[in-house]
Formats: sequence, structure tokens, C-alpha cells
Amino acid sequence: MEHRVIACGAGFAGDRTEPAVALAASGLVDAIGLECLAERTLVPGLRARRANGDAGADPRLERRLRPLLPVARANDCRIISNLGAANPLSAGRQIARLASESGCSGMRVAAVIGDDVMALAKYIEWQEPIIGEMLGAHAYIGADALREAVDDGAHVIVTGRVADSALFSAEVLPILDDTLDALAGATTIGHLLECSGQLTGGNFEMPNGDSLTAQDFAELGFPLAHVRSDGSADLGLLDGAPGRIDVLTCTLQLLYEVHDPNAYITPDAILDLTGIRFEEIGPNRVRVSGARARGRPTRLKVSGFVEQPGFVADIEIGYAGTHALQRGKVAADALRMRLDDLPQEDLRIDLVGVDSTLGSASLAPPNRAPEVRVHVSARCGDAQMAQIVEDEVYSLTLSGPAGGGSVRSERRPSLAVVDGFIDRDLVKTETVWERAS
Amino acid sequence: MRVGSISVGRSGDKGGTLDLTLVALDDQGYRWLESRLTEAEAQAAISRVMPGVLRRYPVPGLRALKFVIEDALPGGVYATLHAGLHWQKVAIWVLLDLELD
Repeated sequence: MEHRVIACGAGFAGDRTEPAVALAASGLVDAIGLECLAERTLVPGLRARRANGDAGADPRLERRLRPLLPVARANDCRIISNLGAANPLSAGRQIARLASESGCSGMRVAAVIGDDVMALAKYIEWQEPIIGEMLGAHAYIGADALREAVDDGAHVIVTGRVADSALFSAEVLPILDDTLDALAGATTIGHLLECSGQLTGGNFEMPNGDSLTAQDFAELGFPLAHVRSDGSADLGLLDGAPGRIDVLTCTLQLLYEVHDPNAYITPDAILDLTGIRFEEIGPNRVRVSGARARGRPTRLKVSGFVEQPGFVADIEIGYAGTHALQRGKVAADALRMRLDDLPQEDLRIDLVGVDSTLGSASLAPPNRAPEVRVHVSARCGDAQMAQIVEDEVYSLTLSGPAGGGSVRSERRPSLAVVDGFIDRDLVKTETVWERAS
Repeated sequence: MRVGSISVGRSGDKGGTLDLTLVALDDQGYRWLESRLTEAEAQAAISRVMPGVLRRYPVPGLRALKFVIEDALPGGVYATLHAGLHWQKVAIWVLLDLELD
């Protein structure tokens, strides 16, 4: 049976760069996918593009691709990525220029555009009212949009908003059996690969506390998959790469960020994951099969980014030494009194090291702690209000319990992401070619 | 028995929806989990920490239980009043540290 080898070189834009280079250098991999666009990471790109029409691609593009391009070229490994973010056309030009500078003359770069559906706004069915200024609207396009670039031999394919799984499954489309279940299989493999180290032992712990070692985490290998034409695959790591792939790590990643496992909607197929089988066929090798499709969606999901006034102000102050926990609790109570004119639903005060993450479901608190931090977050209508809340925390250094310090604060601007749907036939994608000189 | 003594888990999110996955280590563990960690039991645990209505999806073929909590993260991950970003990645411990008879 024909097969292709696809690998994951990034599970987010800031992911480590060495594993992708190692996978490309192995000579075993037909295509490496770099998933670099989270739900909201389009926003900085959209803001940058608004200020400068040539900006909007991910600023990490050069850091990621400079070491990878020559190795991928030498080993005939295609690179597929959504590093284009809000401006795939500009990303295509940047990559061609980078390839020229890296001695990859003749390298062909395909920019796939069309996910930006702002111009089609009137056809989008929003799931809730839009309040504020819409910064952008992007549809999740499928693997079919990348097909032309794969068929025409692009060395690099760069796009913007695309289903994460499509960055991987696109490579397999030319050899895939002409059934929806085979496509469901390839899409499932893409979904398994798209979070890099989360398939290979990252974010994983056994009930007895066993996990990989610090050394393994520091050098964690990213996964690759031998995908067959029926949509089944063998998942694994490069020989010698640290990591863990077994039925448990695969099952957790299979269901990660899936809602109904009977009907996981991707642009390429609606997946029924309940019949998936994982089989350990060797050390760190798992066979996956049994994906089924429940049809193909007629609409694509759209994310609309809406700017709204206001901030979340997020501030901390630390206490240490004898009675640190007691002083932290007193500081928190004093802040509750100082900030009691804020609406309760817009304010959270807790203790980092005690209950700041899991609230009342936290494990029993200790009687004493070598150090503790008081955390305050408040929803603020404007910058002035945020400043007031920040200053209230800072005031504790002078007018609060003894030895308060190590203050830090950040402000996160308010931004709403609104889901919508658009008829897939309205979304026309296009492939624009660049060539390294 | 502690849920996390017989299963592994992971948190995820999409927009305002939190999703939690538990995978039992063996069939016996799955049967226990499936019968004890009911939708109501999971909802009660989750409601101590966050808003939202929980729905449970058993996947016996994978020895897995999927929990999906709509509107658990109002406004999405950037709008949180928790310290820092992505507290929801830790949320799986609400279930893993749950003690059930």
C-alpha cells in the first residue's frame, strides 16, 4: 500500500525549533507541518497589518524557517505551515527571500490565500451579536485548499487560518483512497500530530506520578506518522529521540479539544472517533486505524475578532519568610476592603501557591509556606481604572503587612472572538507562487 | 478512591468551552469510572470552580470519558480573572483529585 511520512515540527508559533530540523534531516519525512496559529494569535497579526499592509505574518517566521529551509530542501521534505497568519502573501515573499539568502535557489513557495472572509461579511451567520469594531473575520479552510500546491510540487506551502489537521493531511491527499473514511483517517492523523510534544509524552503523567525525565522533556522528540492510503497510520519518533508514544498518550491527544467524539467537525470531514483503535506495535510505535466520516460539512466555521474597550489588570505581590502565609491572607483581605466598590463578578483575589488556580477545589492549604503571592485580577473599563487597581496593590508595600514586594502586573486588552458560519462554496481559495532566486 | 489513581487526564479549550478527558488504565478502571463519575457528579465538582453546564460523553472503545463544559471560560482564555494565562490547562486536576466511593 502506498504511504507518505508526515511529521510535526511545531505545535504553536513559539515551539522549539530543533525537533523540526532533526525530523527534516532524517531523510525519512515527506512533509513537515508547522502549526503556528492558535485561536487568537491572528489578532496581533491583524493589528500589525492594519498599521502596515506588508506586515501580519508571524514575526517568528524567520527564526523558525532559517535553520529549517536548507535542511528540508536537501532532504526533499516539504514544509507546510500557517505562519502566514494574517498575511500569507507577505509570508510567501519573505520565505522566498529567506530561501534565496539560505542558498536554496529555485525553491518554490506557495502562498494559499482566501481564509480572510472580511469581504464576505454579509454572508456570515454570526452566532451572537457583534458589539464593537470587527478587526477581522477568518474561515477555517480545509486540506483541499492546499491540494494544488501539493500536486504542483511546492517546497514550502504557507497559509493563514486553516484547520490544524489540514497542515498534515494535505500531504497525503494525492495517495489517499477515494473514500470519505480514508480522508477521515488522514484528518485524524493530522489532529493527533498537531500539538507536537503532547503526543510524545509532554503534558502527561501516570497515576503514580511517573512521567518523562527533565532531560527527556528538555530534548523531547516530536512525532511522525507513516500514513497509508486507507487513512491508517503508524505513529512514532525518530530513533533515539526521547519521548513516549503509547495507547494512553495517543488517546489523550485524540480526544484533546474535541467536543462530541461521535461528531468532531473539521472542514474536511465530520469525524466519528469512537471506533478508533490504537495498537502498540513496538517501543514508541502505535498503529492507529478505524476513523469514520459522518459526511462533510457544507459550512465552514468563521472566527470574528471584535475589539472592545477595557482591560483585565492582573497583579501580584509577594510575601516570604516567617508568617508569610498569614501576611498574604491579611493583604488579600485588605485588598478586598479597598476594592469593594468593584462589581464582584469583575474581581478575583486569591493566593498563588494556595488557591489561585483551582479555587475552592484546591487541595487542603498548608499551615505555613516559605513564600506566597497575593494575586488580583480585575476587569477594568479603561486604562485609568486599571491603573487604580494596580496602584492599590502597590500601596500595600507601604501601607500593608510587613515585607510585601516583588510586585508585577500586566494588562490584557479586551477582545471578543465570535463564532460564525459561512457556506463553503462562497470561500474561494487561491495559490500564489514565489520562487527563490 | 481518587479518580486520578486509575486514570490519566488532560484539559483543553475552544473559545469559552472547556473540555476534559479522562482515560482509564484498564477495563475494570473504566467500568468503575463510567458508573461512579456520572454527569451529575462531574457537574458538582466542576461547579465548585467555574460556571457552565457539563455534558459527559463515554467512549468505551477507548476507555475514555469526555466532559465538555460550555461557557466555563466566559469570554475565552484572555478574559479570565485567573492569574496569568491558560489556567484551564490545570483544570483537569479538579477531576483527577476527586475522591469517589
